[in-house]
Amino acid sequence: MRNRASNTLSKGKIRQSWSKYNLYNLQRFRSPPTANRTFFQQKWSAKAASRAYHGEQVRERQWKRMFNHRIRSVIPMNAADLAADDGSLVSSGRGSGLDKDGKSAYQTRPIPYSHMTFAPLERRLDVAIFRALFASSARQARQFVIHGAVTVNGQKMKHPSYLLNPGDLFQVDPDRVLYATGHTKTSFERREGRLARRKAKSQKSQEAEDAEAAEAESKETAKEDIKETPKEDTKETLKALLAQAKSVMSAGKDTLAPQRKQELRGFQQAVRRVLSRSESSTILADSLEAQFSQLTLLLKAKRSEKPVKKEVKPRPEDAFASDNGDTEAVSAKRDTEAAVSDKLSEAFAQATLGNDVDASELSDEEFDTLQRALTQMRDNPLDNSKTYSTPWQPRQYMSAFAFIPRYLEVNQNICAAVYLRHPVARPGSAEVPTPFGESIATPAYGWYLRRRW
Amino acid sequence: MPPRIQSRSVSNTLLPYLTAPSSSSSSLSSLPSLSSTSSQCLSRQFSATAAPQGQTKLRRQMFEWLNNEGSVFKHHVPGEANYLTRLKQRGPETAEKSRPFPNNQSFFSEPILSEELRNEVYNRVVEQKKSVRIVSVELGIDMKRIAAVVRLVELEKRQRTQGKPLALPYARAIHEMVPTTPLAEKGERQTYHEPINDLPAHPLTGSQIFYPVPESRSFNRVEAGRVFSGAPAMEHSEAAEINHPSDLAEKIIEDPNSIGWVGKGANARQILQPADVRIPHPHMVALERDRLANPNERLAVADLQSKRLERQDAIEQARRERIQARREKKLTVVSPEESRFDYRIKDTIYTKETTGADGRGSKAAGRRYGVPHRDRTRGEVKIPTRVEA
Repeated sequence: MRNRASNTLSKGKIRQSWSKYNLYNLQRFRSPPTANRTFFQQKWSAKAASRAYHGEQVRERQWKRMFNHRIRSVIPMNAADLAADDGSLVSSGRGSGLDKDGKSAYQTRPIPYSHMTFAPLERRLDVAIFRALFASSARQARQFVIHGAVTVNGQKMKHPSYLLNPGDLFQVDPDRVLYATGHTKTSFERREGRLARRKAKSQKSQEAEDAEAAEAESKETAKEDIKETPKEDTKETLKALLAQAKSVMSAGKDTLAPQRKQELRGFQQAVRRVLSRSESSTILADSLEAQFSQLTLLLKAKRSEKPVKKEVKPRPEDAFASDNGDTEAVSAKRDTEAAVSDKLSEAFAQATLGNDVDASELSDEEFDTLQRALTQMRDNPLDNSKTYSTPWQPRQYMSAFAFIPRYLEVNQNICAAVYLRHPVARPGSAEVPTPFGESIATPAYGWYLRRRW
Repeated sequence: MPPRIQSRSVSNTLLPYLTAPSSSSSSLSSLPSLSSTSSQCLSRQFSATAAPQGQTKLRRQMFEWLNNEGSVFKHHVPGEANYLTRLKQRGPETAEKSRPFPNNQSFFSEPILSEELRNEVYNRVVEQKKSVRIVSVELGIDMKRIAAVVRLVELEKRQRTQGKPLALPYARAIHEMVPTTPLAEKGERQTYHEPINDLPAHPLTGSQIFYPVPESRSFNRVEAGRVFSGAPAMEHSEAAEINHPSDLAEKIIEDPNSIGWVGKGANARQILQPADVRIPHPHMVALERDRLANPNERLAVADLQSKRLERQDAIEQARRERIQARREKKLTVVSPEESRFDYRIKDTIYTKETTGADGRGSKAAGRRYGVPHRDRTRGEVKIPTRVEA
């Protein structure tokens, strides 16, 4: 189906999309005037505006078949109220309870039924993917389904119009989600990715020719690196590592991508330098994962040493922790961790000129920064082979559209969600996300109430 | 045809007077800037307005808004909702729930479960082996959501062990943007995530019924349900047995067949039950009644409640097992050796109910003479309508 759903400024239609054009249109949208217009005209323009948002990818005839005038609603019940009264109080008097001072005894907020007109469309797989924040527009969600990146209950589902049943679990390929919700690559990053790919390709072909020779060479270079590093002052290395971590964490949104990447690479190098002290050279050659675990182990070992110093001068945070009364448990846990990484901590201590230097150098916040930088390095690595800009950042203007309706339960880590039940209206609120107010929702519902085909 | 000015022959000094003859003084002042855009002016000599520089008015306005007012939406602030409605908020109105759409007063961005709360739900259900019903009441989370959370966390654990890619930075960003329900600290009360006792509005209650009742008589929920479903009023002796509508809930859990029917044949339907029966947690009403009756005996009431829940759970469990056993009895599973498949064979029942009066019912099994295949009938949905989990 050709995509006619552009975010034009002249029409000013609101779409299911996170683009900045749409945000601007959403912000300036005013309900069409009703004065001097026939009821038919009012309903027509209300229908046109709401259909541009709800199921624009669904043909009108298809939608008309889906429309149902009956709207699901629920009333939240209070168990204490039900226990106190068997219903005879509500039905007393003329049938609606005895009124107090001219006001009726049971006042409820109205249920916004007409906001639920397009509830059947929320069952569609593509719309549900968009609502779960896995795609930046309903059109993109539709493409993900058609391209085979979506499973329903573990089976590949290629129909965007599949109507989810309550309890269905749908899952989108995490790479696609990161692509949809992340920054796009700059031309610089695209070029880097291209070069990396080309390099990998040529390496592959070379490896086929002389695999053994290359292996020997790499080993030699690794050895050289290790030999070089111990010459530097260890205290300085630690300081540098911390500075790098700080710069990585503080890098704002405005810094240019290449600069940020340079910082990250520098941090990675600094991490390697510290790791080279731990006297187990295998970690250097290992994956990022192993490096990360090694560094966190070292950090934990150092942390377990810290409380001895803190007893002299407790900080407000620690005082709060002791109030909770589980400091003992925490310290016990730390002890066991320390026992595990005893050897490592010793190695680290030897390399960094004793304990007192470290403890004075690094405060609690600095530890935190370092830990967070490490976590980010592990979870959000720099990888130009991805289709999105790395390290991943949420795309611009995303937060203005970020909400998850109650009828979905989403697990963002694995990009999976469960369609719990059909959306319902309750007093004062409706669960179908619609940008339109009462003045559009009600005439649009009225338009579809009458059968015109 | 009026004489045309040849663009090639016009010298640069003459240009300002030609393009803007009405305001000679202003054009003179803008002479240096014009020389740079002379090529543009040459192509549109008769236009008095300035060149749009590649942008329409609407586009210019949009970027103006995006760079000024709209610049707050470009990046999120961790832990804060960042919706369009914040532009119109003046003063301290942030306490109420956040609305993403400025025009829609009745849609709110509801909080989602935080990572810790999700893990706590999994821990209580799977490791502590508490029932879904109890966890739901403890944490204020809908039972369906609890089931979904357990399923999703299970899946996440499996994927982590398999080393499949995860979207961790994305998850962190979403939890920063969307409001979340945190897990309560030790010793604090857990804030309820959502209302758990939602009563679905039954279609029968949509109609307006004029039903005169003497003022001297009390008219309760049980009787209202009977009126809505068109059932005759209860016998006095029967009505006297029911002290409170929640008595029915206990009775129906023990014996679901105790609900009466109205109508005949295809029109037969069960009598509409009072809200005390139809809410997801009927035991909460019973607990409240116990509390009202014995306000000073907290421990005894709690004990009674736990016993009640145990008894109801046992009944439910027994019923589930009975249904499962019956289903298995009807099904023959054949699993041949050296085959990838199991064959589940069920006996087809050919009665008037299953195949219709003329034997050509559309729901009946098998191919029948004169009945078109289902995918040939008009309006039939041809894509899957369900996926078995």
